[in-house]
Amino acid sequence: MSENNFDRGSALSIFGSDRKEDFMALAFALIIAFGVYFTY
Amino acid sequence: MVYSKKSPALFIIGVVMLAIWFLADAGLLAGYIEHLGGKKYKYGKELASLPLYFGILSVFVGALHWFGPQKEGEWDYYSSAVPGAMFILLIAMLVRWFIAPEVAVVSKSMGEVGNTGKHIHTILGLNYVVIGIVTGIIIVNFFKVPEWAKNGVRVSRLGLKTGVILLGTLYSAAELKNLGGLSIFMIGFFVLGSVGMTLWLGARRNIPNSMGGVLSAGMGVCGVSATVASAPVVQAKSVEIAYTIGTILLWGVGCMFIFPMVGQLLDMSHLKFGAWAGTGILNSAQVAGAALAYQPNGIETLKVAEIFNITRVLVLPIIVMWLAVWYVKREQTGTKVSVGKVIFEKFPVFVLGFLLLFGLSTTGMFAPANHYKGKYFDNNIKTEKLLSDEDIAELKGNADKVQREDQKAALARLLDGRKVSSIDDDDTLRGLANSKVMGKKSGKILKKAHKAVRHTSKKIKAFRDWITWLFAFGLVGLGMQITVSSMKQAGGQPAVIGGIVGLTKAVLSLVVVLLIVKDTI
Repeated sequence: MSENNFDRGSALSIFGSDRKEDFMALAFALIIAFGVYFTY
Repeated sequence: MVYSKKSPALFIIGVVMLAIWFLADAGLLAGYIEHLGGKKYKYGKELASLPLYFGILSVFVGALHWFGPQKEGEWDYYSSAVPGAMFILLIAMLVRWFIAPEVAVVSKSMGEVGNTGKHIHTILGLNYVVIGIVTGIIIVNFFKVPEWAKNGVRVSRLGLKTGVILLGTLYSAAELKNLGGLSIFMIGFFVLGSVGMTLWLGARRNIPNSMGGVLSAGMGVCGVSATVASAPVVQAKSVEIAYTIGTILLWGVGCMFIFPMVGQLLDMSHLKFGAWAGTGILNSAQVAGAALAYQPNGIETLKVAEIFNITRVLVLPIIVMWLAVWYVKREQTGTKVSVGKVIFEKFPVFVLGFLLLFGLSTTGMFAPANHYKGKYFDNNIKTEKLLSDEDIAELKGNADKVQREDQKAALARLLDGRKVSSIDDDDTLRGLANSKVMGKKSGKILKKAHKAVRHTSKKIKAFRDWITWLFAFGLVGLGMQITVSSMKQAGGQPAVIGGIVGLTKAVLSLVVVLLIVKDTI
């Protein structure tokens, strides 16, 4: 998959920047963490 | 531009997931599950829920894409990733629930390898990690990733990053106080040395900075987690991540067999061998395999090797920071780079997330603060968990077979209190059970006493399951980005560099261990 196949994001990510992807990952992780904390 | 495709693919994936759920729920898979391990098969609960939830989601979004109107916009762009993501998830489900257990069944039927106490699939690391990547590689090279799945493949790294953040929950800073100065010195020196040497060799042999960066973290710290955590920092390509994981696992397989032989030749003490294996071998399972191969009848070597292993994980954030600065400096040759600015602008937020959850885990929020990977010692147990009169009589009948003084004393305390009295006694009695000197029945009773005081946090177990899923998802997607041509492009340099660094570390750490480590703690 080459870089120019995608006009949004990159070959490795659908997000515009690494930092945006990092924040999304952080948000998901915190949602999971609180979900686990209150469920178990 | 409209990104979502008018395709029945996602709808069909949903139907397949629902079919898996139905077959499992109706008991139609019972025969196959019996073959995969019966009561030991761990995924019954997952089979009863996950394919149902994700099946419904896929059918719903799949129907919207297939029959609904297509309009440009954010919903269209982000929902266009769902078909590919569900395709990867379906493959990850098949790998975790059926393919990996099947590989384990075949491997176990072949018996244990030598005196390692391990089966061939454990030694070769043929778990969901490797099988997931290989499955992805097979799909992309033999069938090609379908057009409707391409956007979804690009969310696999998001899964890996989320998994790395959640890894923080498995460790606790309370574990630091159990680590001796020796392990901190050895690991600090050799981790930083290996990273530095890999980067230097990578530059000399002209491999891309991204390849050198990710390989250095893998060779320096440990296996898959370090590789995954450092990959985005150095903009590593999928093939470079896969090469690093392959190099580490192959190197570890060789070490597992060679280390115990060298240890026997040099007549190393348990402490010396544990320190050497924990420093020189990269993968946790392979460290444990080598330690057990060296000392099959006790766990002293294993314990020391594990302590060294834990220390290594804790160095990970430092290495990630180093690589962030190193990578930017290398990529921006000619311009002056401000270290502070690089850390602020480039430092991956997801690594801060790892540190945040590591901090929360240390407070005891998810499990008692002294836990390690969710396991902790607590001998405040219910009366029914105490050893019975029959158990006590059995152990007393075989007590005279025990030769070692520390084991005799721990056994006496166990007989007296009907439960394991301390964490040290627990370690000693595990060694006694492993040595099998008291016979099979007594061994079982000792293991029962051990299980009664060793607890697993439900929260941490849930986190482990999440991490496993996110890694399985991410690695199948990662495999789907690896073509044969990209592997040819990467060439054999990573394996050569990995071999040189690994061998140097093994030899130097052996010399250091022989010179400075005493025979006993």
